[in-house]
Amino acid sequence: MTVKETYCSVTNLMPNTQYEFWVTAQNRTGPSPASECVVYMTAPSPPIIKSKEIQSCEEAALICWESGNLNPVDSYTVELTQAETPEPSGVTESVVGIPTCESLVQLHPRQSYTVYVRALNMGGPSARSDPVTIYTTGSCFHLNEHTCHPWLTISEDGLTVVRSERKTLAKEPLPSNTRFTRCVAVMGNLIPIRGRHYWEVEVDERVDYTVGVAFEDVPKQDDLGANCLSWCMRHRFASSRHKYEFLHNKMTPDIRITVSPRKIGILLDYENSKLSFFNADISQHLYTFSCQFYCFVHPCFSLEKPGCLKIHNGIAMPKHVAFY
Amino acid sequence: MALKQISSNKCFGGLQKVFEHDSVELNCKMKFAIYLPPKAETEKCPALYWLSGLTCTEQNFISKSGFHQAASEHGLVVIAPDTSPRGCNIKGEDDSWDFGTGAGFYVDATEDPWKTNYRMYSYVTEELPQLVNANFPVDPQRMSIFGHSMGGHGALICALKNPGKYKSVSAFAPICNPVLCAWGKKAFGGYLGTDQSKWKAYDATHLVKSYPGSQLDILIDQGKDDQFLSDGQLLPDNFIAACTEKKVPVVFRLQEGYDHSYYFIATFITDHIRHHAKYLNA
Repeated sequence: MTVKETYCSVTNLMPNTQYEFWVTAQNRTGPSPASECVVYMTAPSPPIIKSKEIQSCEEAALICWESGNLNPVDSYTVELTQAETPEPSGVTESVVGIPTCESLVQLHPRQSYTVYVRALNMGGPSARSDPVTIYTTGSCFHLNEHTCHPWLTISEDGLTVVRSERKTLAKEPLPSNTRFTRCVAVMGNLIPIRGRHYWEVEVDERVDYTVGVAFEDVPKQDDLGANCLSWCMRHRFASSRHKYEFLHNKMTPDIRITVSPRKIGILLDYENSKLSFFNADISQHLYTFSCQFYCFVHPCFSLEKPGCLKIHNGIAMPKHVAFY
Repeated sequence: MALKQISSNKCFGGLQKVFEHDSVELNCKMKFAIYLPPKAETEKCPALYWLSGLTCTEQNFISKSGFHQAASEHGLVVIAPDTSPRGCNIKGEDDSWDFGTGAGFYVDATEDPWKTNYRMYSYVTEELPQLVNANFPVDPQRMSIFGHSMGGHGALICALKNPGKYKSVSAFAPICNPVLCAWGKKAFGGYLGTDQSKWKAYDATHLVKSYPGSQLDILIDQGKDDQFLSDGQLLPDNFIAACTEKKVPVVFRLQEGYDHSYYFIATFITDHIRHHAKYLNA
């Protein structure tokens, strides 16, 4: 760049990049030797929050993002404000020095938060990312596509699971550690926070389905409830009769339910080591497992026949559930 | 109506009492047990009625079921009446253990010599609640009922014959279809006579078929090793089928290894108390 002044603004630089600058003077004889080099780092590009993968509960949220930069940055900062308070007078809380592209932040229950992320390097902070809004009512999770059996499709909003009439693959998938291969199932990503989590599943009474929880490393070649790493409620509909089982390690109690639920409430209680199922429409308790959760579990869902399941989360725990 | 306190024992911070009174329906002196939880010292509590089974008095439930801790924690007043009128000197009332004394079957008898005294249905649904409401810190709007065996039958029919009166109902090994079992045929034949249409008015399976009322949430526990189940005295399948047909919500749990005894009741009593607390404390 040729300039006549003793200063120069250099623009259109790449973000998150180290540049060396030096100056030479020039007269009719030619250029001077180069000055000493000076090194500057440009600030990074803002990250992109993965809004579909946010996991939250009443006390915390797990946020992850893409760096937004090809090269590594030094750290990330998460900024959050409670959405009701207007921007200038609202308090912005910052979590700084985050080394990886994810952060578990503590929040207050029943609030709405606006969250931004910035990347940081020696050149300074990036601009704010696009915001996401997080509601700390109930627990929110999305289905994990990587666990999804090939015969299931997940809706755009990540909350409806469909098994269509026709199989798209003629043969059984190969065994896998992450993806369900025998049981036509999918797992959700529930925030790794102990405490109580509640969600609901809308079901079709004429469809065979299974809903419950499982450890992340549950054998993906097994049926849900067939091992000691999963607990679930299974519904079978045959000859106009409904059959219900509550399965863990292939065992079920002998239970008869006269009104078949259309919406099942599921309460995962880490504190009391229990997993409970309810007919959410009539506030009826169906069954409670006493379980040893030695680490975190995830919601899981399967469809044994074509049909669909619709998940509702972010629901405050209903009063009747509190008795269990 | 004068109440005479027979006994009082502190239990889980509350008081287990037994009272005696002159019953108008039964024309004799009757005892009943009543547990007042700690919360009853300062406010009115919901009332939960327990109906016992054949041969029991007001003592069996309060000494064997272990219900006190749960009742104390949930703040429920629990009332357990006797199972039949006593000391009426009716000929034949002590001849068998499943008819007469200790076997009132919670009906209002229409036949002689039973009809003057054997009016347990009216006693349980009218006289006793009125007495309790007038003399103890209970909320008359919040009442539920449960029981065992003959008392399970009693709880189911009281709830089904009085829609809206009870907030919830539950039972342990209930006699679900008395018109079809030996116990029921003997009792109804003796108390109600030979006209079987009068029997159906006290049969839970029949009552459900024409139950018009608001939603009931029924919890039933049944021991799988219960000899009376295998003897065909209890017939829960008939009741479940009728409830499925009429869409009356029931959760029926068949409990592996359990029999008909108070050991079975004690195992699951906390679940039942919680079931009622959910509706009574709503």
